[in-house]
Amino acid sequence: MTNKYYEFFCPVKVIAGKAALEHIPYELTGLAAKRPMIVTDKGVRAAGLLDPVIAACEESGLEIVAIYDDVPPDSSTTVVRDIAKVYRKEKCDSIIAVGGGSAIDTGKAVNILVSEGGDDIAKYSGAGILKHPLKPFFVVPTTAGTGSEVTSVAIISDEKKGVKLPFSSSFLLPNAAIIDPRMTLTLPPHITAATAMDAMTHATEAFTCMAKNPLSDAYATAAIKKVSHSLLQVMDNPKDEDGRLELAQASTMAGIAFSNSMVGLVHSLGHATGAICHLPHGLCMSLYLPYVLEFNLESIREPLGELLLYLEGPEVYSATPAARRAEASISAIRKLRDALYKRCELPRTLKETGKVLESQLDAIAEMALDDGSIMFNPREVTLEDARTVLRKAWA
Amino acid sequence: MLVKRLQPMISHARRSYVGLMFQVMGRALQAISEVDEKTRNETRALPEGFLFEMQVMPNGPALIVEHTGDGLLYYHGDSAPRPVDLSIQFKHLTHAFLVLSFQEKTSVAFANDRMLVDGDVSLAVRMTRVLNRLESFILPKLVAQRAVKEYPANLHLPEKLMSAARIYLKVATNLVETVRA
Ligand SMILES: [Fe+2]
Repeated sequence: MTNKYYEFFCPVKVIAGKAALEHIPYELTGLAAKRPMIVTDKGVRAAGLLDPVIAACEESGLEIVAIYDDVPPDSSTTVVRDIAKVYRKEKCDSIIAVGGGSAIDTGKAVNILVSEGGDDIAKYSGAGILKHPLKPFFVVPTTAGTGSEVTSVAIISDEKKGVKLPFSSSFLLPNAAIIDPRMTLTLPPHITAATAMDAMTHATEAFTCMAKNPLSDAYATAAIKKVSHSLLQVMDNPKDEDGRLELAQASTMAGIAFSNSMVGLVHSLGHATGAICHLPHGLCMSLYLPYVLEFNLESIREPLGELLLYLEGPEVYSATPAARRAEASISAIRKLRDALYKRCELPRTLKETGKVLESQLDAIAEMALDDGSIMFNPREVTLEDARTVLRKAWA
Repeated sequence: MLVKRLQPMISHARRSYVGLMFQVMGRALQAISEVDEKTRNETRALPEGFLFEMQVMPNGPALIVEHTGDGLLYYHGDSAPRPVDLSIQFKHLTHAFLVLSFQEKTSVAFANDRMLVDGDVSLAVRMTRVLNRLESFILPKLVAQRAVKEYPANLHLPEKLMSAARIYLKVATNLVETVRA
């Protein structure tokens, strides 16, 4: 008998497809919510993405009572407290987060404060502190990558103490994630590419790291198939609504996969690079993915080989001898990166980013070694290993 | 019927074993921090007075060590002098038994949701590295390979033998001291 054991949990209702936003009023009413507050950022508002959300609610006679549109890219405890104040003053009873990772994390944190009470969000930091369900909470993602709409964590920085506070509880999961192609239609090419590669990395790491399990595997492979199939199509034709919806669904599916089976070294290196060199997360993922897969190769040969079917399709898969499939999967990912570089100059090496100094590699390696995701990497990583991978990714 | 009567005995045996292994590990952690420079390089990054706990939920056996400075760890037994800073908690005695009897690797136990981390995750990652180093030192190679994800390639036999002997010695004296105290 094997010691294999796993847990899988995703109670988020996924509402996806054309005119999905118009389902928000019905879903809110189903939870007895009448006074929703929107939490978003200036970029989302400027892009006109709030208009269809507000229109969808008003047409059903549901008034959006308050809108907070000033969430910064790195949300803080002060922002969370301010939003909670507005929520209470306007007597709201539910939250709709519209945006990318930061707006969604902020929405989760605000929900803790307005549900549990008080002004000090730090008090609820940690794992399993929350013991009760929170207020009705909906998420409308405007990027297709982070998967935050289906994860049970939020990160908020405490500016005064200079630390990042993690919050983890299944009660942070939204009641519903609304995936509407209109929300990602106007994403600029380099963000489309980087965020899709984040989703690709979530799925690939979920499928090859230590906590992989049959349920996550199903979501991961489906996500990889969608990204491989639709990403370049969307890059060539940004207004392709079907392709946009495919990428958005892939992002959610990859999110479900990795939130149940974790990620590995690509994320450890990416988190460290983001913190030290301030590079966007998705870009780091795209950059490190092939180098880490090469490093892990002998520990993940079998699952990585299986992914060839989803990356390249059945013809290529069956034409490739089983012993060569893992390498062919890495080549497929490299090919995709080259194609993205051609279309929007998404960097493939640290040097190509123009924002990393060779002298920073050691600091990145050291920081990556302390990142939580490294525990789930299939191969043990020493400081020297991390340095070697970074040197390969340099140029 | 027999199964019903046997269950409390098995459970009791497991509890005793887990408690004993925690004692051995606690003393070994203190010892390894005194003799192994690589371990100290890891533990030096912990805040001074930092309390680390491994515990079986809800109130099972526990192991508490403190970083007393310069990478040195001090074993506190099973009760902490003040609230701990980092806790790794096994969800059930059975899970602790699987890990401490080297049937399940620490990293696999994390991946399998057998335990929870309460506290700074980056420090938990660091402590996992220290535990891996400890296990590869004090266990025979065959067992250690099962306990840690990868046996350190640079852990050569003389180094291992030398250090292991000293750690065993340290554990032994520490045990004797406890008996006397
Ligand atoms: Fe990611």
